[in-house]
Amino acid sequence: MPNHWFWGALTIACVIWYSTITIYVAIKGARDIKNMLARLDSVRERDAEKS
Amino acid sequence: MTNFNWLLDGSIVGLYLLVTMVAGLMVRKYVGKVEHFLVAGREMDVYLGIASLAATEFGIVTCMYTAQNGYEKGFAGATPGILMALAMAGVGLTGFVIKPLRDSGVMTIPELLEKQFGPRIRWAAGVVIVLGGLLNMGVFLRTGGQFLVLVAGLDVRYLEIMMTVLLVGVAVYTILGGMLSVLVTDFLQFVVMSAGLILVTILILMNVGWEKLVSTVDTSYGAGGFNPFVNPTMGWQYVLFNLMLNTAAVLTWQTTIARVLAAKDTNTGRKVYTRTAFFFVCRFLIPGIWGIAALATLGPVANTLEAMPQYLSTAVPAGLMGVLIAAMLAADMSTDSSYMLTWCSVIYNDILAPFRKRPWSERKGLFWNRTIIALIGIFLLVYGLWYPLKGDLWTYLGVTGTIYLASISVLLIACCYWRRANSWGAGASIIVSAAIPIAYLVIEQVPSTAELAKSIGPYYSGIATYLLSGAAMVIGSTLKPRAEGRPAHA
Repeated sequence: MPNHWFWGALTIACVIWYSTITIYVAIKGARDIKNMLARLDSVRERDAEKS
Repeated sequence: MTNFNWLLDGSIVGLYLLVTMVAGLMVRKYVGKVEHFLVAGREMDVYLGIASLAATEFGIVTCMYTAQNGYEKGFAGATPGILMALAMAGVGLTGFVIKPLRDSGVMTIPELLEKQFGPRIRWAAGVVIVLGGLLNMGVFLRTGGQFLVLVAGLDVRYLEIMMTVLLVGVAVYTILGGMLSVLVTDFLQFVVMSAGLILVTILILMNVGWEKLVSTVDTSYGAGGFNPFVNPTMGWQYVLFNLMLNTAAVLTWQTTIARVLAAKDTNTGRKVYTRTAFFFVCRFLIPGIWGIAALATLGPVANTLEAMPQYLSTAVPAGLMGVLIAAMLAADMSTDSSYMLTWCSVIYNDILAPFRKRPWSERKGLFWNRTIIALIGIFLLVYGLWYPLKGDLWTYLGVTGTIYLASISVLLIACCYWRRANSWGAGASIIVSAAIPIAYLVIEQVPSTAELAKSIGPYYSGIATYLLSGAAMVIGSTLKPRAEGRPAHA
């Protein structure tokens, strides 16, 4: 391990970063989907009113 | 013998498939226009973008070739991931190319190229992008089927059936919901895929142990297993080729760029790039560790591509096996759906553009987009069944990807930053960058010239393609200097 600190550190960084980002994106991404569909819904209603 | 338990693991996989299909089909009601179908109405925000980009760029095929890299090259096999992360972070931070591309409001790269180089180059670029992309994607299905059959311990006779079932499932929600279904299912798939990847990696690190992984690489490959420059199968040419390839992919790979184009604004697109960059290190290193664990446990095997799934089939316990297979299915489905939609967008938007003298109705546009996706699915099935893969998988993907990556990256950079670039240079660049990789693939397949292909090697051939493609743009554009006040393609 001491001779290959770079790969050891990179492996630890990958596991920690990936675990953290997965939880973070799972929460924030769900909110993004909700907002995206709400915006598309309002666009759809606007288009329906125009036609 | 495998640890796959049909009741426990099968239920986990079945539940995952059910939730994904329902979510993918539910959002189809929001698709009323071609813009919704192809770029989700440009309503994508940062975190959904991160999930979608990460899920798209990690399929079973990715897991297989990165694990093969780990098995054959040790830790040094993760070098392309580090290079790609650096390229993506650099492009995201500076906005190089992606800022003018997103600011232009186009739906595909060739659409932007038309502004500088004219409609013929737009059409030719579309053909090259689809050719390179489909050849690249052609091996996804078989590789995905191979993994699932080996890990679940199914009879190899079921490989083709597995491939077909996988494809049909993905095609249904992609055809109905387009980019909206892709984004929503990508999000679910990202969560499932990431959970599986992290859990299996922790299990391997605990069971095999870091010391054994390091000593296996040391014994098998010596210093070359840790340093790509001293690895006899890699060297400076491997690093340089992968640097060029990954930078070009970050700038022009249509599935990656599709996330920038679907972003709600340019800054969102840039943030998606910078915040996803490190994922590309994980994308190579995590399966690479699985491959090294396979080497440590199984020793030498006849087919290095199959070493990792063979190892996982007995190393992962029941219960976690279901999570692993659901994760890999998630990875594969998100990649297949995004890729089918992306190549469809180029065929519809750019290759069929000359046939749309008068604008098509939204209904007709949606019909054609859906038909094109179905046809792409049929092509993938046929190609995946008969193409015999030779050499390592990452190199095949690199060579076929280079068919378009080299010229389109040169065209795109020139289009954004070099006003003297014109259609002659663009045409020459496209021809050069398609001719070299195709010639290489052909001489590699023909028995009488296979040795010649081996002596040249894919890395020198790839480097030559990028350099000569750039040179062709400069020479072609210089030979035909444009007159003052006229567009570059006139």
